Amino acid sequence: MRHGKYRFIASFLAIPLVLYVVFVVSPYAQAFYISMTDWRGFSGQQNFIGLRNYVDLASDSRFWQAMGHNGLLILVVPLVTIAFALFLAAVTTVAGRQGAVGRGGVRGSRFYQVIFFFPQVVPVVIAGVLFGFFFNPDAGLLNGVLRVVGLGWLARPWLGDPALALPSVMAVLIWGAVGFYYVLFSSAMKSVPPDVFEAAVLDGAGRLRTFWSITLPMIWDSVQVSYIYLGIMVLDGFALLQVMLPVPGGGPDGSTVVVSQYLYETAFTGGRFGYASAIGVALCLVTLLLAVAVMRLTRRQQTEY
Amino acid sequence: MNPSRPMPGLDRRQFLQRLAAAGLLAVPGAGLLSACATGGGGTTTAAQGQVSTTNPLGVATDAPLDVVIFKGGYGDDYALAHEAMYKEHYPQAQVKHSGSTQIAQEMQPRFVAGNPPDVLDDTGAQKIEYAVLVNDNQLTDLGRLLDAPSVDDPNVKVRDTLLPGVIEQGTFGDKFVILNYVYETYALWYSKPLFEKNGWQAPTTWDEMMAVCEKIKAAGIAPFTYGGVNASDYVIDLNLGAAIKQGGLDVVKNMDNLQPGAWKQDTVLAATQRLEEMVRKGYFMPGSEGLKHTEAQTAWVQGKAAFYVSGSWIENEMKGITPPDFAMTAAPIPVLGSGSAMPVAALRTQPAEAFVVPAKAKNVNGGVEYLRLMLSKQGGEKFAELTASVPAVKGATANAKKTPALESLSAGLAAAGSNVFSWQFRTWYSSYSTLLITETTNLLTGRTDAAGYLAKLQAETDRIAADQSIAKYHR
Amino acid sequence: MTLDTSAPATAPPARPQRRARRQDTGGASTGERTLGVFTHGFLVVWAILVAVPLLWAVLTALKTDNEIFTSPWSLPAHWQFGNFARAWTTANIGTYFVNSLIVVSVSVVLVMLLGSMVAYVLARYEFPGRGIIYYGFIAGMTFPIFLALVPLFFVVQNLGMLGTYHGLILVYTAYALPFTVFFLTGFFRTLPSALAEAAMLDGCSHAGVFFRIMLPLARPGLISVGIFNFLGLWNQYLLPLVLMPDSDHYVLSQGLAVLAANQGYRSDWSALFAGLVIALLPVLAVYVVFQRRIQEGLSVGAIK
Repeated sequence: MRHGKYRFIASFLAIPLVLYVVFVVSPYAQAFYISMTDWRGFSGQQNFIGLRNYVDLASDSRFWQAMGHNGLLILVVPLVTIAFALFLAAVTTVAGRQGAVGRGGVRGSRFYQVIFFFPQVVPVVIAGVLFGFFFNPDAGLLNGVLRVVGLGWLARPWLGDPALALPSVMAVLIWGAVGFYYVLFSSAMKSVPPDVFEAAVLDGAGRLRTFWSITLPMIWDSVQVSYIYLGIMVLDGFALLQVMLPVPGGGPDGSTVVVSQYLYETAFTGGRFGYASAIGVALCLVTLLLAVAVMRLTRRQQTEY
Repeated sequence: MNPSRPMPGLDRRQFLQRLAAAGLLAVPGAGLLSACATGGGGTTTAAQGQVSTTNPLGVATDAPLDVVIFKGGYGDDYALAHEAMYKEHYPQAQVKHSGSTQIAQEMQPRFVAGNPPDVLDDTGAQKIEYAVLVNDNQLTDLGRLLDAPSVDDPNVKVRDTLLPGVIEQGTFGDKFVILNYVYETYALWYSKPLFEKNGWQAPTTWDEMMAVCEKIKAAGIAPFTYGGVNASDYVIDLNLGAAIKQGGLDVVKNMDNLQPGAWKQDTVLAATQRLEEMVRKGYFMPGSEGLKHTEAQTAWVQGKAAFYVSGSWIENEMKGITPPDFAMTAAPIPVLGSGSAMPVAALRTQPAEAFVVPAKAKNVNGGVEYLRLMLSKQGGEKFAELTASVPAVKGATANAKKTPALESLSAGLAAAGSNVFSWQFRTWYSSYSTLLITETTNLLTGRTDAAGYLAKLQAETDRIAADQSIAKYHR
Repeated sequence: MTLDTSAPATAPPARPQRRARRQDTGGASTGERTLGVFTHGFLVVWAILVAVPLLWAVLTALKTDNEIFTSPWSLPAHWQFGNFARAWTTANIGTYFVNSLIVVSVSVVLVMLLGSMVAYVLARYEFPGRGIIYYGFIAGMTFPIFLALVPLFFVVQNLGMLGTYHGLILVYTAYALPFTVFFLTGFFRTLPSALAEAAMLDGCSHAGVFFRIMLPLARPGLISVGIFNFLGLWNQYLLPLVLMPDSDHYVLSQGLAVLAANQGYRSDWSALFAGLVIALLPVLAVYVVFQRRIQEGLSVGAIK
């Protein structure tokens, strides 16, 4: 039996592990090695320089500026996305019609459920192009609508203003992400047994209170996983920026430069692949720390039901 | 010139073997192993053929030729025509054509693998920086192209068929390694009919510039626009161009040579302050900082702005959207004042569209031969005909159909004569590009002033000059 | 990641049945009513925010370049269907779409099979090295992909798989494994063990238990992760860029990027938007048709 168990484990793990090691682990291991060289990226010439790239990184102001933006993105985008998604999910799933908290959403919920998921099927490249144009100060939709409804004084060169460029990019990231988490949370809420809500309603709990004390704890695991997944998505938000703000400097006055963009620029424009790899390793460490921190901080007693 | 030395006892082939071994064995830090797996790159023995009068470069007539073209503003139809010419000369050769806009990502692995194309047009926003390739010894010395007989007349060397500045632009240190095929000219562009209708004149001095901008603004049109999101650096032709014309070629040589105080020269400061004055007077279209260059250019051809600063690719780039009666016209950058070292007609001509033959290409001779064919009369005329632009070879536009822009450019170049200039600092030191875009946008939006702008550029110049790891060039 | 075996996962997803409505609890308070107005307002605004950019893209795709700039939000004067033809031919959208479909579908099936095998073993068996393998996969989610691009190129080239569909499929599968394993490990832990134990006693092999009992039980989770992966890989851009250099074999994201990049050099806005719409509509249509299935699929899987 024991022998059979290990043979079974080995047979199940063999193929996936080989694939993973060959195509994922080994390239990253090489990238880690490259981060300790001064490789320029176009030939085999390289010198092993130990940890010098990491030492330089510690005092690289552009790196820290980019890291700061990443920190902002990672704080704001997942939080806002999750908050929106939770709110939308709650009102269309369990807010119920008057006096029937916990059973079905408000009127029109089916319709909203279809619409809200739409952005998720929009490829990032398309979203980038679409919103690059959406924010066009002259012919874009946003300023156009603002002018039509008499709020013309609010019209701005969105992507050209250092104070607004990063928030604009965040808005697009949030726009693209809410739909999926909305569906995810709605589904999770639907799986909460209805009698739990009924008990709450009998106890006289209103919608807000039901949400805080029942709905949210019940789906806490989903929220936790979502935060990690969103965090990773945001750190990799490079493709969107590359299409929306194709600027080597990272937006107006460097106001939108994120780590992956700086990494890309260092590697391909600057021809410093060794240094770029060090940036990548640093980014990886930060992401790992984030994931661990989120898991630790948000660990709660699983609600049994 | 090349600060990067190979590791003792570790050559390219070994490095590739290690990469390969690491890939297959997946040992962390595999680069430290002495590996035994098969190499990735293999040896490269360039194809070699018989030298003759019709084949002066010794092309192996049956060797395949791999051509990668940047498919940007000029498209790649002209390259197809050049490839057809190559097929005509070497009917046994297979010619592979690819057009791409993502040069760096697609080509980088091929360079590392020792399998680069035979001809590469390394251009565009995603190009591989030239300094990176040059410093890594990745490019074939094209000196023998210059000394080869030209296609049309065996008594004339290729060197003597080129327009002025082409050799200088492609030379790093003492080697000519890049053939910049398109003779780009930078100017102040406007719509002639629009100006005639309003009685405006293209300015020749900055005082006239301020006056005409005031009139244009009064007419309800923005005098200038620019692509603040990604291309505000086009505008530097205004201030740097004026500074160089005023102070002469030494002004730009000081910049290129990373001289202390190069960006604080009197004429540079004076010209940049005039630019700052234009910003203060609101001569740049509001909202331009939120536009990409194509969006800004679209606003311009639709008459929302009167002037646009750009290179000569502009007409081709805006072909689909420019109204038929727009008559795009080039004017030289106005001079600061009287006593300028160069005449008003002087132009910045900066050959671009960088054609290189990678040193490790399989068919180096074929690649060089392809460049020689591009520089033939027929090759040049094909290019001019298909792109309405000026190639780097003399006399190619004589028979081309003259669009308004090409016509005004030809006239402008004739008027400039030998009074042309160019700058090299952006080609030699890639970090300038990022800074110029960021800081020029800051200047044009009033977030910084002339002094602050120049201080940033001087600081970068001093940083580059002090950095031992950056290869330096001189002119 | 807590061990919770009490979840009713064997039962069909617990959904709020629309039972007879309870009688009203006697009129909602003013606060509740304000909340209701606010709620509806927010729903409508969000729906507009989501739908309008997409509708606008469709409209823009039917305009001339001049109209796009002079009257960005009015209806086109003449519907320019030619834009679509131009986008179709210049961007090859049709071919790339099929390429994407093949590569992504096969990868998703493969990653679901392999990922569930790994996840099952990690979730259900104690063995030395389990933690290392689990965290090895987790770490794989965190690295920026383009750091690995150049070394990956050589791995794929040395295996002779450069520019091939099967090469790209294997790479896609490998890169989708971390998230799949992460997600499904959590899921398998929540499945009840009683059924598996009973089957073992009946003489079922380890593999038999997995394929006959656990995999069917895990179907909701598999569907969820399948959707995650499909959308993720459909958007994947950097991997094919380097591993699929031949423009005949491009996948859709590459084709679109070329289309978008071309805007930097040629101003054919209408064809760009037409291309975007061509790429977008089939996916949107599939979603609308299958949305109920997709949402149900997500429902049970996602919460574990």
